[in-house]
Amino acid sequence: MSYAYLFKYIIIGDTGVGKSCLLLQFTDKRFQPVHDLTIGVEFGARMITIDSKQIKLQIWDTAGQEAFRSITRSYYRGAAGALLVYDITRRETFNHLTTWLDDARQHSNSNMVIMLIGNKSDLESRREVKKEEGEAFAREHGLVFMETSAKTAANVEEAFINTAKEIYEKIQEGVFDINNEANGIKIGPQHSPTNPSLPGAGGSGGSQGSACC
Amino acid sequence: MEYFKSGLKSVLGAPPPGTQITGAETVEKLVSRVSTSTLLEDRRDACRALKAMSKQYRLEVGAQGMDILRQVLELDRNDCEITGYCLDALCNITSKEVFEDENQSNMNMAVNVGEQFSEMFLKNQENVSLVLSFLDEYDFRVRWPAVKLLTSLTTCKLKEIQDIILVSPMGVSKLMDLLSDNREVIRNDALLLLINLTKSNANIQKIVAFENAFDKLLNIITEEGYTDGGIVVEDCLLLMLNLLKNNTSNINFFKEGSYIQKLAPMFILPDNLEEVGWSPQKISNFHCVLQLVRTLVSPNNPAQIITSCQKTLRDAGLLESLCNILMASGVPADILTETINTVAEVIRGNLTNQEFFANVLAPSNPPRPALVVLIMSMVNEKQPFALRCAVLYCFECFLYKNEIGQDLVVQTLLPSSTGNTTVTAGQLLCSGLFSNDSLSNWFSAVALSHCLIENPAQKEQLLRVLLATNLGAQPVTLLNQCGVFLQHTSKLQAKLGILMLLSMWMAHCPAAVKIFLNVPGAMAFLTAQTSASEFDNNEELLQGLCAFIMGLCVLFNDNTVQNYSKENLSQLIEKRVCIETYCKKLNEISRHEVYAKAAKQPQIKAKHSSELLLEFEFCKLFKVMEGLIIQALGVQRDLSNGISELSLSEHENALLLQYKELIRDQDKKLQDLQRKFNHLQKECNDLQTQVEELQQTNTQLVDQNTLLKVQLSTANTSHVTNIIHEVKSMSPESAEPYPVFIHGNNDLLLDRIKKLEADNERLEKVESELAEKTSELESYQRDQDDLLELLTAQDTKLNKFKERLRQLGALSRSDESSSDLSDNDNDRDSGPSLL
Repeated sequence: MSYAYLFKYIIIGDTGVGKSCLLLQFTDKRFQPVHDLTIGVEFGARMITIDSKQIKLQIWDTAGQEAFRSITRSYYRGAAGALLVYDITRRETFNHLTTWLDDARQHSNSNMVIMLIGNKSDLESRREVKKEEGEAFAREHGLVFMETSAKTAANVEEAFINTAKEIYEKIQEGVFDINNEANGIKIGPQHSPTNPSLPGAGGSGGSQGSACC
Repeated sequence: MEYFKSGLKSVLGAPPPGTQITGAETVEKLVSRVSTSTLLEDRRDACRALKAMSKQYRLEVGAQGMDILRQVLELDRNDCEITGYCLDALCNITSKEVFEDENQSNMNMAVNVGEQFSEMFLKNQENVSLVLSFLDEYDFRVRWPAVKLLTSLTTCKLKEIQDIILVSPMGVSKLMDLLSDNREVIRNDALLLLINLTKSNANIQKIVAFENAFDKLLNIITEEGYTDGGIVVEDCLLLMLNLLKNNTSNINFFKEGSYIQKLAPMFILPDNLEEVGWSPQKISNFHCVLQLVRTLVSPNNPAQIITSCQKTLRDAGLLESLCNILMASGVPADILTETINTVAEVIRGNLTNQEFFANVLAPSNPPRPALVVLIMSMVNEKQPFALRCAVLYCFECFLYKNEIGQDLVVQTLLPSSTGNTTVTAGQLLCSGLFSNDSLSNWFSAVALSHCLIENPAQKEQLLRVLLATNLGAQPVTLLNQCGVFLQHTSKLQAKLGILMLLSMWMAHCPAAVKIFLNVPGAMAFLTAQTSASEFDNNEELLQGLCAFIMGLCVLFNDNTVQNYSKENLSQLIEKRVCIETYCKKLNEISRHEVYAKAAKQPQIKAKHSSELLLEFEFCKLFKVMEGLIIQALGVQRDLSNGISELSLSEHENALLLQYKELIRDQDKKLQDLQRKFNHLQKECNDLQTQVEELQQTNTQLVDQNTLLKVQLSTANTSHVTNIIHEVKSMSPESAEPYPVFIHGNNDLLLDRIKKLEADNERLEKVESELAEKTSELESYQRDQDDLLELLTAQDTKLNKFKERLRQLGALSRSDESSSDLSDNDNDRDSGPSLL
């Protein structure tokens, strides 16, 4: 499958905030109300278009539980983008954001784009964290902010795509060294001379491609 | 050795002449030298000596020197040379292998010294972090031994070091960076280390994949010349295998990352391969690539993953390349076998891929379908056993969830296809089914049975197949011939094969059961096998299968064959075989280790032909049907063991009937009483509401009454006094004009009094009425109590009767509740008709 760029994402945040559901909504466009606890890390992928360029997103959905924290740390370094998720109906998940942010900043490359996400915006009646608080936190720490609902799919596309846009802009500005794969960015096969495109390669992810916006 | 000793002398100084110092003493001296010397050079020399001694005097160096070596690593880490010596020494100490010149005394110890020292070293997690930190050092003298030490530790204590590396910050990342090291020794050793580390640890596998392992490995493979490359290619492929095996997340990543397409060049055989031949390394490399493809489409993976990988493999042209290898000449047998297995799993359950495979032609003259050529090898005694198994697996995978394919094969057997002179798959299978080679019989029977899985139409179609046995004799049906062959062949493997085919055929197909029941001697054969009390060497499987077929004959019997109706057969099982024996025989199958092995995975895995007895799909069928058969026979068994009228004597029977009558009477009475009780309760309720109403009106009336009384008294007194007052006040002036008025007033009062008196009277009447009603209610309540008492008396009487019945043994335990009794009566009434 041909793409101009490949971005690696990670999704982090407390357990039960809806990380796996966000990924499922983004890659499969469906919502699963009962989801098993993520063990370690799970993988998902989708193609998007930015600036009429095909961009492949490879997303690693991490386990939120404390027990897996040391494992998930291994994924920070190689990621170009991170979605930091909290649950707007549970105050403590918002309170833990600083810990997550410190962890991410410490282990990732300094250019990693972090998007703050307040999930479960469909549960307005049970809201414990005001939208303004999320905005303030994001402003204070230099993050992009958005409220989403993995259930209704509200803002889910936007969250992933806006993060990609931000990374794309950084590439254009020359902030990212795109030749260093440790940054979580890869140039597509047709853009690099060492990898001639293979016959039949176009059909490999056909189902995935058709699902793109 | 002399040189070594002289080296030691130079380090320790010459020993006093005449004394022989032992190795242990030398080590002791060296260790103290390392810990006390202030000069780096001295410490370095001592460490070099320790390293030199660490093989021969492993125990001594390990026991005395491990701590000091670790200390040096921390304190002298800036000096690459001494760090290298220490790491080398530690590597020798913790190595699992036994060194050639190692002290004999150590060899006698039961425990592995290296393992013990590894455990000691790993007790402190910091030690691993320390070694990991040396990977950052570019100097060859440090980096290489650090990799070797880690490798040595993984061979002894894999689980422990996996856990430590997982929690060390950037642990895996550092190891992955080693793959990009331009010094091949380090890169290759790092590969070995990673192969060890990724063994059965999904978390490390995922992190390694995340760190671009597939890109790096495929780059190395390409640089080394794909499968023509050396052992490094094999190592790369082994690591990829570790990353993908049973790891759905990584398989998904592999597919999404378009890595499948990058495998394609490895499957294209060069034109001059026949001249060049296959080197042993090429065979190993190729074997690994095939394993890699199989890991992606393994039947153990989630269905969604399998389907998408199969599609990608086809689109990337890999399926085509694999089929080309199948038909190429000069391919070594084991590669060919594995290629067949790979093709099998790439097409399994995927209609498009199965169709593609069906259309592959062998380059023979005239061109034959590859499928036919493969089946020829399967029924050919001269072909290697593993290859024949692979062909069967491939054929099974071709038919799996493929109704069109099943139809295709069965069609070649039907009479309509005569006139066609070319060899067909069906013909090959039929001749294999009744050949002299029992393995061919088994393979063909299993292959045919796969044409029938979940396909009722083909079961009917196959019934139409006719065989010409002898010249001039009437053609017989295939099923008939199976039944005859079953009785004539003496080979267990052939019998089991035929029985598995029959069971797949007869399940859910009454028409097949009917034909089978008409095969002369078939039922007698089954009965004899099932009721046999002795068996040797896997014969219990044969007996179990015969029992299974009998069960299927009962289950799918449409009662059209005389003497072999459902009832006849169950009676046969009951009387001739005995139900306990029957169930035991049936259980024998699922308890057999052959069953457990076959039920594990669809692929036929056997080292020797004699191990081939049961097959995967049959096990699945057996699992489903076993319960149904026991259930079907169980109904009959309950009747025969329970209280069937037939099993009782005439006297008992009469008694039973008597009691039944009694119970029926009592039941009726009980119901009557219940009805009456309900009626009375309703009446009582009505009365209660009436009483309440009355009480209400009563209180109302009392209230009214008091009101009136008050009114009356006030009217009597105040009115009169008022008047008198008025009169008095008026009289002094002029009493004349008022008398008439007073008189009139008096009249009015009198009237009112009279009216009040009448009211009073009415009140008294209502009160007496109320008393009457209350007494009536009391009498009703008394009546109700009496009735309840009567009811309890009836109940105890009933229990007594039941007790008596039970003493007579006529009541089964489940019949406790009286309401069930009537149901049971009905059951028993219908009993005789079933028998």
